[in-house]
Amino acid sequence: MTRSPVKVLYIDDEENNLLAFKASFRRQYEIYTANSAAEGLKVLENLPVEVIIADQKMPHTTGVEFFKSITHSYPDPIRILLTGYTDIAALADAINHGDIYRYITKPWNDLELHNSIKNAHDAYRAKIDLRNKVMELEKTNDELNRFIYSISHELRAPLVSVIGIVNLVKMEGLYHSSGEYWELIESCSNKLDYYIQKTLQYYKNNKNVSDKSSIDFQRLVAEIIDLYAYTDRDTKFNVDIIQSNQFMGDAFRIEVILGNLISNAIKYQKDNEQNKVVDIRIEVSSFSAEIWIADNGLGILNEHLEKIFTQFFKTKNNKGSGLGLFIVKEALNKINGKIDVSSSLDQGTTFKITIPNAG
Amino acid sequence: MPAKIERPLKVMLIDDNSIDLKINSKIILLSKLFDEIIQCQSAEEALNFFSQYKNQPEKLPHLILLDIQMPEMDGFEFLDKYKNYPPVTKEKSLIAMLSSTLDFGDIKKAEANPYVIKLLKKPLSTLELEKFFKASFG
Repeated sequence: MTRSPVKVLYIDDEENNLLAFKASFRRQYEIYTANSAAEGLKVLENLPVEVIIADQKMPHTTGVEFFKSITHSYPDPIRILLTGYTDIAALADAINHGDIYRYITKPWNDLELHNSIKNAHDAYRAKIDLRNKVMELEKTNDELNRFIYSISHELRAPLVSVIGIVNLVKMEGLYHSSGEYWELIESCSNKLDYYIQKTLQYYKNNKNVSDKSSIDFQRLVAEIIDLYAYTDRDTKFNVDIIQSNQFMGDAFRIEVILGNLISNAIKYQKDNEQNKVVDIRIEVSSFSAEIWIADNGLGILNEHLEKIFTQFFKTKNNKGSGLGLFIVKEALNKINGKIDVSSSLDQGTTFKITIPNAG
Repeated sequence: MPAKIERPLKVMLIDDNSIDLKINSKIILLSKLFDEIIQCQSAEEALNFFSQYKNQPEKLPHLILLDIQMPEMDGFEFLDKYKNYPPVTKEKSLIAMLSSTLDFGDIKKAEANPYVIKLLKKPLSTLELEKFFKASFG
């Protein structure tokens, strides 16, 4: 691939220097010259310049002042400062505020200047390449997210039809007409639906948008319990919510967090337990919401406690997908929340969550 | 505002998926809440129905169960077109959306639409339907 020559803009109020520069480098570069900062800016407005060389000592605007003035409007071109004086103050200023790549003393040595321009151009390419790569990567990532998202939707629609058919079978009294086959179809379908819903949750959580809205924990918890309680009618809920402050937060993620923890508390009960209990306590202050969710269920083995938040970690009882707590943790990371867990086997598990109040 | 109930009660299903159309019709039938079910395989077909019977309100449904994702014209586009119908045509029918969507955007959009009184989730359960029926038709 042949590259077009490097576009260099040289700004200097001394006409002789501009001519000398052109004479030395016109074969290597595409050269544009300007005899003042204002003229230089005009060139920048019209051409994608890659390297800018400016003399420090010019009337009206110095080289450093010029570089400072374009840090936001033209951040990409690489800057080289030329000066006849070893002016320490200008040098410090140039490095600190002008984003200068090289500092070259006048009269310049052709080879030194040539090497500097070459290096500057490499730096320019690297900067642009990196930016393009990042953009490409963001685009691919975004596409992947959207792909998984829409595929999950597409998968879910026919699955929901299957679940609908099973419901009809029940309503028509045919559920036990084929041994346990309908029951098995139902349990497989529900499991698949659960995975799809978790996948959707995970990818929704991955998107960075976070809207803040006012959250009424009393209502939210009631809705979540309503949503999951049907899975086990025996479980008793003790809900204690103290919220006198307004709480502002990310409603979607908080719902995901509480939903997963409360459904887990229901799911991991002991089958033979007579008094299945889930305690939910929430204290809202102007700084944060502190949430405790405790069950008297199976509990978690000590050696598993560290792993429960990792993706696809499952225990032998085969009830979980290995996604729920992972998603909880990811969602908490996005909203700067914290989670702690304590558990003893056969006694139960307590999760404690702290979510900052963004209000 | 609950619609006036005069038997026979009619419900219209708009869904491009013929299996879902069949399942939901059957569920409604078994629920015994409605006397007549009008099935439309597309939003277009439903609009034609409304055009055809715009002066015969007795033919129009009391409830429309509208799917969201459909080819060519989706549920929201249907609502855009529906809102241009004369009030006589519209005042009788309540609209609920019926979808398997979990998309926050869809859910918000459905809740924000003044014509949509509820977003029902597939699979439709008789329990949900009964609850919704009681709330809307008393």
